[in-house]
Amino acid sequence: MKPLVLLVSALLLVFGCSKENKFDEREINLISPEKIAGFDPINASDRYSGNETGKVYEGLFEFHPLKRPYELMPNLAESMPTVSEDGLTYTVKLRRGVLFHDSPAFKDGIGRELKADDVIYSLKRLADPKLNAKGWWLLDERLVGLNEWRAKHALLDVTNYDEVIEGLQKVDDYSIQMKLKKPFPQFLYALAMPYTFIVAKEAVEHFGKQFLNYPVGTGAFILPKFEQTSTITYVRNPKFREKFYPTEGEEGDDKLGLLADAGKKIPLVDKINVHIIVESQPKWLSFMKAKEDLLEVKDVNIQQTITPEKELKTEHKEKGVRLIMKPMLDVTYFAFNHEEPIFKNRKLRQAMNMAFDRAGFNRLFHENTGFEAHGPVPPGLGGNRKEFKNPFIRYDLDQAKRLLVEAGYPGGKGLPTIVVQTRSDTVARQQVEFFEKSMEKIGINIDVGTNTWPELVNKVTKKQHQMYTMAWGADYPDAENFLGLLYCPNQSPGSNGANYCNPDFDALYKTATVLQDSPERTAMYEKLNESVALDAPWVLGFHRTDIYLAQAWLKNFKHMEFNHSQFQYLNVDLEVKKQLSKKF
Amino acid sequence: MIKYVIRRLLYLIPVLLGVSFIIFVLFNLVSGDPTAVLLGKNATARQMAELREQLGLNKPLLEQYFDVVRSAFTFNFGTSWATKQDISQMIVQGAYPSLCLTLPAFVFATILSLVISLVAAFYRGKGIDLFVRIMCIAGVSVSALAYILFFQYFFAYKLGWFEISGFEYGFPDFVPYVALPAIIFVLLSLGPDVRFFRTVILDEIYQDYVRTARAKGLTEIVVLLKHVLRNALIPIITYVVIQIPSLILGALLLENFFSIPGLGGITLNALNSSDFPVIKAMAILSSVLYILLSLLTDVLYTFADPRVKLK
Repeated sequence: MKPLVLLVSALLLVFGCSKENKFDEREINLISPEKIAGFDPINASDRYSGNETGKVYEGLFEFHPLKRPYELMPNLAESMPTVSEDGLTYTVKLRRGVLFHDSPAFKDGIGRELKADDVIYSLKRLADPKLNAKGWWLLDERLVGLNEWRAKHALLDVTNYDEVIEGLQKVDDYSIQMKLKKPFPQFLYALAMPYTFIVAKEAVEHFGKQFLNYPVGTGAFILPKFEQTSTITYVRNPKFREKFYPTEGEEGDDKLGLLADAGKKIPLVDKINVHIIVESQPKWLSFMKAKEDLLEVKDVNIQQTITPEKELKTEHKEKGVRLIMKPMLDVTYFAFNHEEPIFKNRKLRQAMNMAFDRAGFNRLFHENTGFEAHGPVPPGLGGNRKEFKNPFIRYDLDQAKRLLVEAGYPGGKGLPTIVVQTRSDTVARQQVEFFEKSMEKIGINIDVGTNTWPELVNKVTKKQHQMYTMAWGADYPDAENFLGLLYCPNQSPGSNGANYCNPDFDALYKTATVLQDSPERTAMYEKLNESVALDAPWVLGFHRTDIYLAQAWLKNFKHMEFNHSQFQYLNVDLEVKKQLSKKF
Repeated sequence: MIKYVIRRLLYLIPVLLGVSFIIFVLFNLVSGDPTAVLLGKNATARQMAELREQLGLNKPLLEQYFDVVRSAFTFNFGTSWATKQDISQMIVQGAYPSLCLTLPAFVFATILSLVISLVAAFYRGKGIDLFVRIMCIAGVSVSALAYILFFQYFFAYKLGWFEISGFEYGFPDFVPYVALPAIIFVLLSLGPDVRFFRTVILDEIYQDYVRTARAKGLTEIVVLLKHVLRNALIPIITYVVIQIPSLILGALLLENFFSIPGLGGITLNALNSSDFPVIKAMAILSSVLYILLSLLTDVLYTFADPRVKLK
């Protein structure tokens, strides 16, 4: 009898122990498709690390969660900064009464008030040569004296954070003055990025090398200790300052219910659970089982989500699931290595652009959700003119063949086999194979070069490639971030992996990128975008679409490209969750 | 035997030197510059040069080799380049979920495979044996991914018997999360294990001593369990023990699909981010485990067959 009881107990333990959804806690469940390396803002280089860092840390400014085009608003700063007439000196006033999370790093374990010294310390950490931060590029050659400070401390054993730098000075406990070497109109965007989120010196010193596992910020949520597990659980910061849900947004937000919580104190939930799920199927199944409140839909799951008319499928509608589809600020491309003599031939580059079957590619790999890129700058940014149609984007094999003749390679004769380097995963390889088939139609032979990510990066940075494929997502909403991909001084190992150099483009880029946002600058960006597109430095791909599914009970979610600060505004309707969960 | 064990343990020294050398050549001379990947998409040439200096990649090659040797002998692997976490801590933290999944599944799979193999051998040439053989071939013919996708969809999503993904530390909290991947692990192991065990057992069954045992009037069960199994144990022990390092190093595919934060994922992430110290640590760890377990295999031989003497 005893073994039987044991067996039954064991079976009970194993079966039927899948956890039920909770309806009594004001919590939201989210997915991170990548592992999080740690919580040090200066190294939050990818979107997903930024999203997690943004739950506990904050920046001086943040992107308005509702307004579009993207608009900055003060966050830890009390107001938008005052900027000198020459655009070089920024004075930022800090909000008073902002407290760091309680932590053993502070005296008596009680979080203290954030002051100007913390801002200066955090920005200097980004420049500390001992830390070699991933985000250093953001301030490299920007602030007066910062590069010199970095160079000096590269030779010293200890970094002296007390040394005053001209470009980064405290005016009083609640205001800081920052001096730029030359105009950097994107500077305020930099101060809204996770790299520049504010940390406390005591926490960095107390936790030492383990600092990245003990986030001590000022944000709406607390994470006492980060561990590499499958769930990260944040709880509401009970000492979070008086911060309120915005009372205005974009037109139509009201109808969508995005202003229902206007004026309410945030955060609106008590807990956020972030589940690390890498593979597509478990992500999809967890959402469909109502275990997750939000799902970023990718690859194979797009077909399960929308109809060919890009409508949400009925079975999801019946469960109250919402579809959110918005164009991304990104661009995909097949880059030529312009140091290869054959690619100095513009006609060849144009012919290859015209032979690329974008419609077929879009259907096969993006379920027709991508937008053909006519230039590097995506729609939604100044510099992308709706009316501009790049003539070489048109799929026209006859014209492509004619251009190939003009290029001196009739029917592809005389051209070597061109190797296109890509990642080794299946979809990446299939995409280049599709490109190979397209080029074959005009007689150009393509080989697929598959690489691990480090191998691909190595080949591009060392210029050991003929062509490679890449996608670039915006760091901030400014065309400079895309046009810089073709700026000669940024060539490998920089972001211009095509090693494209065009003196006219470079001269105009240099002039435009130091101008403040204005019609004059937009016109220059447009000229840059269009002229370079006609020169065909890449075979242009697509501006992709972000697709999200949100459960009916998840409130206040609006598509946001730079969403690291967005989570504090989310809300959950437990009554709706209780009712609709039965349908799952 | 003690002398033998000490001698085998001393073999660890040249083996670790050799492993260190191979790792050093692979990572420092053959593979490319890791700094571009580590610094991300906006890396500059100057920053890459600074990072190379900081990571010690500009040190004389001999010095870099000694660093690898030192870490192999002291097990002090330093910190991860990509995550800045302490590597020993990462390994300990990752080994726990990996073992929660693989160890019980491995023990169960081995026992079950042995039982099935003995049954198949007992009924050799008959219907049951044929059925087992067909099932084994069918089992190994279907890809592991197909099993994972189907079981996760059907048992976790459709029937809701198990968690779809995730992990919780501590017993019995982890059970709902590892139960389904463990069942898949067992199913995936059954095919190759049963085929191997059955072949080994059948090899023994036709030996003279088995005929003698039968001639003495022993029952077939006693012949199988007392004589055949005991003599078949040596290849079985070799086969089983050699799999143990892979248990500790994780079941990558299962861990990925069921979001179990084990060592498989840590290794894969390290490979994708050029995190050489983590890859080196995992390579050294698996070599040491391999050597220690082959020693354990030798020791187990003496228990399985008293004729084996370790000298």
